[in-house]
Amino acid sequence: MSELIIETKNLTKKFGATRVVNHVDMQVKKGEIYGFLGPNGAGKTTTIRMLLGLARPSKGSIHMFGKDIRKEKLAILRKVGSLVEYPSYYGHLTARENLEAVRVLLDVPKSRIDEVLSIVRLTKDAKRPVKGFSLGMKQRLGIATALLGNPELLILDEPTNGLDPSGILEMRELIKSMPKEHGITIVVSSHLLSEIDQMATQVGIITKGRIIFQDSIHKLREQASSSIKLTVNDVEAAWKTLLSNGFTTDLVQNNIYIDNGTDDHVAAIVKSLVEHDFSIYRVEEQKKSLEEIFLELTGKEGGLL
Amino acid sequence: MIRVMLSEFIKIKRKLILFLIILGPLGVIGLQAANFGLRYDWLTSQYKEDLWRGLIGEVTMLSVPTILIGLTILTSMIANIEHQTNAWKQLVALPVSKMKIFAGKALLSFILLFVSCLLLFFGTIILGLSLRFGTAIPLFYLLKMCFFPFLAAMPFLALQTWLAISMKNQAIPLTTGILGTIVSLYGTGFPDWMPLKWPWLVNEWDEPVYSVLFGVATGLVLYLLSLIDFSRRDVK
Ligand SMILES: Nc1ncnc2c1ncn2[C@@H]1O[C@H](COP(=O)(O)OP(=O)(O)OP(=O)(O)O)[C@@H](O)[C@H]1O
Ligand SMILES: [Mg+2]
Repeated sequence: MSELIIETKNLTKKFGATRVVNHVDMQVKKGEIYGFLGPNGAGKTTTIRMLLGLARPSKGSIHMFGKDIRKEKLAILRKVGSLVEYPSYYGHLTARENLEAVRVLLDVPKSRIDEVLSIVRLTKDAKRPVKGFSLGMKQRLGIATALLGNPELLILDEPTNGLDPSGILEMRELIKSMPKEHGITIVVSSHLLSEIDQMATQVGIITKGRIIFQDSIHKLREQASSSIKLTVNDVEAAWKTLLSNGFTTDLVQNNIYIDNGTDDHVAAIVKSLVEHDFSIYRVEEQKKSLEEIFLELTGKEGGLL
Repeated sequence: MIRVMLSEFIKIKRKLILFLIILGPLGVIGLQAANFGLRYDWLTSQYKEDLWRGLIGEVTMLSVPTILIGLTILTSMIANIEHQTNAWKQLVALPVSKMKIFAGKALLSFILLFVSCLLLFFGTIILGLSLRFGTAIPLFYLLKMCFFPFLAAMPFLALQTWLAISMKNQAIPLTTGILGTIVSLYGTGFPDWMPLKWPWLVNEWDEPVYSVLFGVATGLVLYLLSLIDFSRRDVK
């Protein structure tokens, strides 16, 4: 088993009586891009704020790099870079001065500023006051600030929020390059599955404060069970014929559906239809999209409560 | 802690804060220059016993409310640097203890106000010399009158720092600061236990040092309480 960078146990945060984060057991392995996925208000930001020591858990424990955050908070934070919600910056200062204000606190060499500026491609704009930056540039400055201390773990909360498609693409490429080029573990939150799908290796899905799925992205995709859709001439008669021949199928809107059928099973059904003189117009595979799984997972949970 | 202060000084670059630090003492000295310029004969006859002490007394009348309003604006501006883009979350997530972050903000206000008082000290000397009050300057008394009101105002510095940092909406700390300043104008008539009286350095024992001691002690207690409050509070 690979090393756990983040491990929370029963992590809970209450605001008044409501549990915004409810017994969350989060496990992030070294070198992974952990996609933290959940609809608006699920508790992503609240969880992340607890990981960064910005908020105190009401219950439960947080261990990062094997250390207890209650005991060794500063030692942990030394290895963590973060960007929470919208970027923080000092508008009256230039990009370089912004980084310098953080650099003196981290005690890293001055040359590191040039390095992070070039990673996020802000070298040319380094001498301009940040208040004149576009949102994308501010977001990139936020990433640069997060990278300043050579972190081993990067925690990014909705880093593509508010960016245009090219900004999103750029941010995604930047995030994906980190573990490869710098060996950094990343936690990135989003409410968009497509986004997590495009960068994450591990996924944690949270809704209403509870983790309802946590595994590799492949495992999530496997849940995307496929079904075979048949379009035939006399659909009702075909369905009945199949049933009398021992094949259970679903009849939905003038189509016949075969769920989770093996190749042989599908072939047997098709053969049976042909033998009974039905005209088969189409045999199509229908894959459930991740989006549908996500909605199914989060919807189910919602139905239970 | 030195790193924290370095960072704080980088952050006030190009802010009006530095201008304010000069404006305060400059305003007090400027108004007194006008005061003495317009009523030179009357004031010099009033203070003919000791012209320097007379001038210093007049300066103090203005400097006390200026210190109070100045620290109100200053603490608010310093806190606002972080409030504007909610940079607290970035700052607190750095490997620096919350206590040090709060202490850095309070110390920055203290240092800047100290510089203001120092400027007032030199400004008064320049004004007295240009009014031809002679070179027998009561330096120790002047030093006392420039720095004692500031030290006696420590409870307000602690209170305003705490208010300005813990609330995003600066209307509240600004209001309490302005009200405090107005009330303090009548401070000399208050009972001795009233903190708003202390910056005036008057008390029943006639010992300005007592006012300073009360101020510094109460200020320290308030500062420690705010420090604990800040380090426990969740950052938005
Ligand atoms: N300080 C607070 N006091 C009371 N409720 C809060 C507080 N902070 C957050 N909440 C509530 O907690 C819930 C979860 O918020 P959180 O910001 O963690 O969600 P999120 O998953 O980050 O959502 P989003 O995708 O919108 O960013 C929300 O319903 C929010 O209203
Ligand atoms: Mg959020």
